[in-house]
Amino acid sequence: MRVSYEWLKSMVDVPVDPKDLVAEFVRTGTEVEAVEKMGADLHDVVTGQVISKQPHPDSDHMWLCQVSVGKKNVDKEGNPEPLQIVCGAQNFEEGDHIVVAMVGAELPGGFKIKKSKLRGVDSNGMNCSQRELGFGSDHSGIWILPEDTPVGLDFADWYGLSDTVIDCEMTPNRPDCLSMTGVAQETSAILDEDTHIELPRIAHEMEEQTSDLVDVQIDDPALCSRYTARVLRNVKIGPSPEWLARRVTAAGARPINNVVDVTNYVMFLTGQPLHAFDLNKLSERDGKRHIVVRAAATGEHLVTLDGQDRVLDSDMPLITDDGATPICLAGVMGGEDSEIDENTTDVLLESACFDRGHISRTSRRLDLMSEASIRYERQVDAARCAEVSDIAAALFEQCCGAEVCSGIVDAYPVPAVAPVVELRPARVRLLCGAPVDDKFIVARLTRLGCKVDTSDPESFKVTTPTNRPDLTREVDLIEEVCRLWGEGDIEPTLPAARNHAGGLTVDQQRIRRIGATLRSCGLSETSTYCFAETDDLAKLGMSEEGRGIPVRIMNPLVADQAEMRRSIIPGLLRSVAYNLDHGTPNVHLYEIGRVFYGHPKKSSPDEPSMVAGVLCGRWNLDEWDTKYAQLDFFDAKGVIEQLTSALRLTKVRYKVAEPEKYSWLQPGRAAEILAGGELLGWVGNVHPLALRRFGIDEPVVAFELSLAALLRLAKRELPYQDVPTLPGVAVDLALVVDESVTCEQVMQRLHSAGGKLLREVQLFDVYRDDARVGVGKKSMAFSLTYRADDHTLTSDEVEKAHNKLVTKVTKSTGGEVRS
Amino acid sequence: MAMTDELAAIEAQVREGLDKAQTVEELEQVRVAATGKKGSLTAIMRMMGKVAPEERPAMGKLANTVRSHVEAMIAARRDELEQAALDKQISAEAVDVTLPGRSSRIGTQHLISQIREEIEDVFCGLGYTVEDGPYIEDVYHNFTALNAPVDHPSRSANDTFYVVDNAPEGKGDLGLSSSDLLLRTQTSGVQVHVMEQRKPPIYMICPGTVFRPDTADANHLPQFTQVEGLVVDEGITFGDLKGTLDYFCREIFGKDRATRYRPHFFPFTEPSCEVDVSCGVCHGKGCRFCKNTGWLEILGCGMVDPNVLRYVDIDPEKYTGFAFGIGVERVAALRYDLPDLRMLMTGDERFLKQF
Repeated sequence: MRVSYEWLKSMVDVPVDPKDLVAEFVRTGTEVEAVEKMGADLHDVVTGQVISKQPHPDSDHMWLCQVSVGKKNVDKEGNPEPLQIVCGAQNFEEGDHIVVAMVGAELPGGFKIKKSKLRGVDSNGMNCSQRELGFGSDHSGIWILPEDTPVGLDFADWYGLSDTVIDCEMTPNRPDCLSMTGVAQETSAILDEDTHIELPRIAHEMEEQTSDLVDVQIDDPALCSRYTARVLRNVKIGPSPEWLARRVTAAGARPINNVVDVTNYVMFLTGQPLHAFDLNKLSERDGKRHIVVRAAATGEHLVTLDGQDRVLDSDMPLITDDGATPICLAGVMGGEDSEIDENTTDVLLESACFDRGHISRTSRRLDLMSEASIRYERQVDAARCAEVSDIAAALFEQCCGAEVCSGIVDAYPVPAVAPVVELRPARVRLLCGAPVDDKFIVARLTRLGCKVDTSDPESFKVTTPTNRPDLTREVDLIEEVCRLWGEGDIEPTLPAARNHAGGLTVDQQRIRRIGATLRSCGLSETSTYCFAETDDLAKLGMSEEGRGIPVRIMNPLVADQAEMRRSIIPGLLRSVAYNLDHGTPNVHLYEIGRVFYGHPKKSSPDEPSMVAGVLCGRWNLDEWDTKYAQLDFFDAKGVIEQLTSALRLTKVRYKVAEPEKYSWLQPGRAAEILAGGELLGWVGNVHPLALRRFGIDEPVVAFELSLAALLRLAKRELPYQDVPTLPGVAVDLALVVDESVTCEQVMQRLHSAGGKLLREVQLFDVYRDDARVGVGKKSMAFSLTYRADDHTLTSDEVEKAHNKLVTKVTKSTGGEVRS
Repeated sequence: MAMTDELAAIEAQVREGLDKAQTVEELEQVRVAATGKKGSLTAIMRMMGKVAPEERPAMGKLANTVRSHVEAMIAARRDELEQAALDKQISAEAVDVTLPGRSSRIGTQHLISQIREEIEDVFCGLGYTVEDGPYIEDVYHNFTALNAPVDHPSRSANDTFYVVDNAPEGKGDLGLSSSDLLLRTQTSGVQVHVMEQRKPPIYMICPGTVFRPDTADANHLPQFTQVEGLVVDEGITFGDLKGTLDYFCREIFGKDRATRYRPHFFPFTEPSCEVDVSCGVCHGKGCRFCKNTGWLEILGCGMVDPNVLRYVDIDPEKYTGFAFGIGVERVAALRYDLPDLRMLMTGDERFLKQF
């Protein structure tokens, strides 16, 4: 909403300058988008007078003029010097006062005035028409100013363009402020100043009754709560008077002609959109025009004013000529066929109230916004339709020479009732937490147009104005008082809370610990989209089993965000590819986030959270004395081991991931992770074929763990174990076993064979050599620590225990001791 | 040679040997030669029995003096040589201390999750709980129970991602207006879930991911992070809202920052306002960063609308409350003057490692 400071001042006392007014607007909740100094862009456009006018020596329609611009152009001595201008207009004489755009001026639309030669003659400026200056459409000749216009003034100053327009963004709950009268009321309440709004009145009504000429029928009051029609005769279409053109311009519209400008002006003034039909373009039956407001039929067409053929649906309110022919897309835009044109003499003027929801949907569905639809969307004041029709009629009389038919036709099936709201002053003070006095409450609400009955001092009865649909409850009034009191002036306090405690839950703390552990292992946290491409799982080769069906988005922005992810890995692989493509060879990322498993028969999907990570390259670039190896399965496994240890998970096992089930992983380098028999997730090398489909040529190891399982199995503490006070005895054992024997199997055998005395088993080497160890064999070297709690072991005891262990283990593993 | 001369000669010999000895090992040879089992001084001591009894006390005394003198000399020289050896070792071990250190490199936390944790910690300190809820929300919890009018533009497909409802009674894949399921556009729905399950006093925040159909560009992401807060208790005032958010702003942006409350409109709060924090670059004077206003908009808030409380059967006469919503990406962008929000989603190690 563009608010003209000068226009506003004509309606309410504004003892502050535009800058302070803006500050007051902001303080009380009217957002100001821009402050525009009108006329500021019309530099080097001045008032002038034609001194001489000679025919152009080389043209039969152009004139060679000397135009005085006073001191705006001076010679070397500083004396005024007329400008030579070549002009093609025919409507002026010597002595006429005109508007001159001098060299350097830039006219609306970006047209720059330069020194030029027209058919060989120098021209140092331009005599301007109204349209060239952005005032109306009159381009029949140059703009002739009154005879008493002083020469050599800045045109903007002379014309009174030096207004300030405050461009406000009104919140959707304030339809009243989409009008100058509403803004005046608001300003009055903000500044606590008086309004003096004078509205035009009809001077004379003809004997001819509107009701004899027009009939209005509303099919569904849910679409249209009120429709008034009025007929204006003998309208003379022409340019608007200057004051009207100026105000319409300030409000942001382009002056077009007096009829259009009056309807726009009244809308800007009152917030009520109007529509003017050419009465004679409507069909006549029984001597009357019949306006029927109904819902459009699906598939019905209307060519709107902008020339577009619109296809309508049954949600859209439509104005029709006698129920049959659509003539106006109600509240949004008029139809081409009933449009006012230069030959129009009789006007049917609509001032109506359409349902905000229907208009909002219509406007959105047709992608068609207008000044009218913006206002209807936020609700127009049905109670004022007739009054506004009168104001418009008075202006048609004044500005268009119209004769006003008597009365209006007013279809108003359900009259609006101004609500009465109870307001407890004590409640105001409680909610605001500020000592707002009764006097302030009454004074400011009254300024806003409310009637406040204070006969019960505990509970005022407030009748709210009909143009404030947002004021229907006590709290709505409290909000008004609070913002006018000044939210900035309310003293800050902290709640005096009792009986509550806060803080992170154990699980929330554990999630933080998971992140901290992964970071301490060298992984950085990232964030990828929860969206997925539809073929993400297929690209990865990940089976859908156990991952539900995709959660599909009905209105995706782009095709690659058409559904929700069922694994974090594709997103992480895209980040790996991004890094590799951008010259970062070493990538270590993790993300804790949700995946989405839809049900074929349920609304809400499962949204389990996953802890996922990827490793690619090395831990680091080689350093001056440290070289880093290519990251592989065991680096990722090491990360998981740290994680399970940090969460104090017990009985953690790694099982070979079956290639059929884990088809996205490289067979032989992939494991399932279990704790206490429960599946936590997997870790492994991503299958080279999958990597290739994500554009990655380097090996990537990845893991994905269920957060819920981690949290469920995590323990607050593990039992304390005595720190050994007696020394242990370390014995090394190298065992040669078949390749098929796993580390886990050998460890189990060692522990069960070692008995009570075997306390620690550490694998320190795995060695393969066809000649020395044997084909299909491997040597595993362990350091075993024997210890008793109550005495220092003798060498005999150790030897005995160890020999027993060796015998058992070689037997149970089928291996032999390597000497 | 008289024993006296012999003793003098040994002492001289030792002194000479010590002067020559350049290592602890050479010194040891000198010591062994003098005071070792077969040493010259040891030999003289052994011969003391053969000395005439009348000379023996004097000679014994002399011999002992010489021996302790020799031992002292050796010890002194040993200290000297050990010190020299240590000096040499120390000087040999000197390094260029500007060479990089050696350690396993730890990873970094994502900027958004850092700020999110900071915000959580501020409110945990004020006694709030941290709540969570589903990303796939229904229309009731995301809009209706938050007092959003049926025709509110935020419900349209331009502003909300809708999701196919697979339930038999759901309306399937027929059209946008037919689905009651959506990607939550705000975490406010969590407040509704919490109020449905719990009675006041409620002091909670719900940080989390939300979604809106904005094409990703420098200033927008279709997926971003919000922290919403809700307090419902007896006697909560607008002053409490201000006190809480003033505290939050100072904790997150710095003690020297001022706040400004501008009345605004949100369907679920009344009165509502937007909060600005004074620009950290120009401290309110106006600069490019704050577009010459001196202020940076950081959050929306207000007193909980009584309708919202009524939806969850909380008596708005007895209880009042406030709610607020903070955009975490906005806080990050303001703190670091980020040129492009999309960097938050690429996983670029060069970006992540900075925080």
